[in-house]
Amino acid sequence: MLFRQAGIFHTDYAADRAMFPIPLDRWMVGVLLALGLAAPWVFSSLALTSYVMPWLIWAAAALGLNLILGWAGQFHFGYAAIMGIGAYTAVHGVRAGIPWEIAVVLGGLMATVVGIVFAFAALRVKGLYLALSTLALQFVMDWVISHVPAISGGVSATLQAPTLRLLGQQVTSEAGLYYVALGWCLFVTVFMLNLRRTALGRALVAVREKDFAAAVIGVQSFYYKLVAFATSSFIGGVSGAILVFTFYHAVTPEQFSVNVSIELLAMVIVGGLASIIGSYFGAAFILLLPGQINQLVAWTAKLMGADIGVETLAHIPQMVYGALIIGVLLVEPMGLGKLYANVRNYLLVWPFGYARK
Amino acid sequence: MKKTWISTLAGAVMLLAGQAALAQKAEPVRFALCYDLSKAYTFVTPQIVQAAKDYADILNAKGGIQGHKIEIIAQDHGNEPQRGIECYEKLKREGVMIFDTLSTPVSRAVLPRVMADGNILLQSFVGRGDAIDGDVFKWIFPIGPTYWGQVANDIQYIKNYHKGSLKGVKVGFVYPDYAFGQEPIPVLKTLAATEGFELQLYPNPLPGKDQAALWTQVRRANPDWIITWNLSAMHVVAAKEMKRNGIPMDKLISVNWFNEVDINNIGAAEAKGMKRGTNVVGGQNHPLIQQILKDLYGKGKGNGDRKNLDDVYYNTGLAMYSVAFEGVRLAIKQGGWPLTPAKIKAGMESLRNFDANGLIAPVTVTAKDHGGGGKTRIDMWDGTKWTPQSDWISAYGDVVEKVIKEQSAEFAKTSK
Repeated sequence: MLFRQAGIFHTDYAADRAMFPIPLDRWMVGVLLALGLAAPWVFSSLALTSYVMPWLIWAAAALGLNLILGWAGQFHFGYAAIMGIGAYTAVHGVRAGIPWEIAVVLGGLMATVVGIVFAFAALRVKGLYLALSTLALQFVMDWVISHVPAISGGVSATLQAPTLRLLGQQVTSEAGLYYVALGWCLFVTVFMLNLRRTALGRALVAVREKDFAAAVIGVQSFYYKLVAFATSSFIGGVSGAILVFTFYHAVTPEQFSVNVSIELLAMVIVGGLASIIGSYFGAAFILLLPGQINQLVAWTAKLMGADIGVETLAHIPQMVYGALIIGVLLVEPMGLGKLYANVRNYLLVWPFGYARK
Repeated sequence: MKKTWISTLAGAVMLLAGQAALAQKAEPVRFALCYDLSKAYTFVTPQIVQAAKDYADILNAKGGIQGHKIEIIAQDHGNEPQRGIECYEKLKREGVMIFDTLSTPVSRAVLPRVMADGNILLQSFVGRGDAIDGDVFKWIFPIGPTYWGQVANDIQYIKNYHKGSLKGVKVGFVYPDYAFGQEPIPVLKTLAATEGFELQLYPNPLPGKDQAALWTQVRRANPDWIITWNLSAMHVVAAKEMKRNGIPMDKLISVNWFNEVDINNIGAAEAKGMKRGTNVVGGQNHPLIQQILKDLYGKGKGNGDRKNLDDVYYNTGLAMYSVAFEGVRLAIKQGGWPLTPAKIKAGMESLRNFDANGLIAPVTVTAKDHGGGGKTRIDMWDGTKWTPQSDWISAYGDVVEKVIKEQSAEFAKTSK
């Protein structure tokens, strides 16, 4: 009833291949898009700058990681390093006088190059071994950044990002920075939505399911793994650059350290492998929930008049948060994206549930 | 009917006005402590929050700062830059003007925003050292010595020990191999060149729990002095390895981050003879701590475990907030209420020879120098307590100044 499929006829190829054949899906996407565009007026400035904007950028990064992890099925434990390469390259580029747009793309390309070079070595192994060798990428990057002052920006290891100039126009307002982030996030989302129905996307899925089976049917698995590494590195690099220019305004090594890699991995896994909406959910869950639980716990403690020490107060949210992650994965191992899909599947035929049997 | 409506409205207006007046009278001075209370900095943050709250209670009992109560807002950011930013952005919108992050990553992440918004960021002992250049970092107050200053003072102590000449003296520098540990190296290298001592660098990889290879090297090279930039548990590892390699404890000069917890983990007797660069007086003999013990903990009104008071980091917290409260007191005295960041800045910059009643070396903050003089001294653990080995010194001002100016000029250039 809600997701009405009546009246959808696959009479031509265009209709058959439509991205959102069901009207309600189209409506929801439209409303979300409108909300995204109207966000500077809808949300308070705190919510816009501290929650929505970073969430969108992290969601874009999580989508990039999901490409390699969810679609191509290759572990990547060094994604934060890839983002860091993009960020450092872009910041150095702009400081050297390169226009912002080109510098950001350069950041993405540099991340791609490093990603591919590394993938050449790393892809000779599979599974857990690949996971460990990508972790090595993370540590190599950390080491290089902290030992080459020319990259890190000297002894204090912070590099100020110059003001963002889009097409020669200074962007400093909250709304302006938000739209830059939104634009990038939308671009990545549209790319990923389309990836699913291209030959590349299907090849990646074939490689993920069984790489030698893919080879038997004529899909060169090594080539597609490389393409996956390259594409996801580009997305990661640009996301890192956007993150620094719109949110951090200064780049430091710990913004892209190993625990950030783990967080990204958690975003993808909690959100759901190979799920686009799941990447959004996952980013929100991992990025925003700790702060929110923190406030909730502090508020509850205040309400109950409990006299809890600052330390305990800081640790209770950690426990709640950990329990929530385990809870989500127990309820639905495929992540939050699958939870959403379950609800949608149920509503597809609701209230005539027997029709599915 | 209309009359009642008007009188209700008038009543409401009067009530609101009354509340506003009341609010203004009792409006507190608020300090935002966006701290890492759950991850990397937990070895120091709880004590500092406790000290700040205790001292605020003591002052509030006397009527607060110039009649305004002090409110300490402590919030956890888990050492994650984005959550530190969230804490700053949220409290900034609630009207808080004074922030303290006590975490280098978060301090670095918040700094560009603080500079753009013109709020006050306290960052004693963390964050970028060049922020003491008040000309460039107008809103940042890292009151206390920089690490560059501290290491220069350590070298001065060694020089005094060797009767004024460092020729032929070997100084080893043991540090965790990331930005915090690498920071003093430029100053050490410059001093090694000018003073003629031999500098040996011993990096240990993070997380610093394995220092076996490093200390064997130290034994082989046998330096006369070892300066370490270790933190919390790394001290214990270092002490164990030193004992194993037969390196005497009295060669060791640690960075200021060395507290009673570390001493207990090493063993009070084992740690005898080791030295520490000190920026705040340890122990409980200070009159303020005695007062806190009597008025708060004696009556069961302390803001945490009484055990934490026997910790030099508690004294550090007291020192940081003595300075901050005094700065705000001067600000209200000079500029009156309501406070603005500009008034607080002016207040902080008029601190003259303030030593928190002997708790710290006297600091004099000016518009140019937000550090306050950079004095430290060397304390030695004598088996039961810290005993001072030198006066408060501030050495090699020109060398330290040069590093600071280089760095801050770089910041000034790029933040345009």
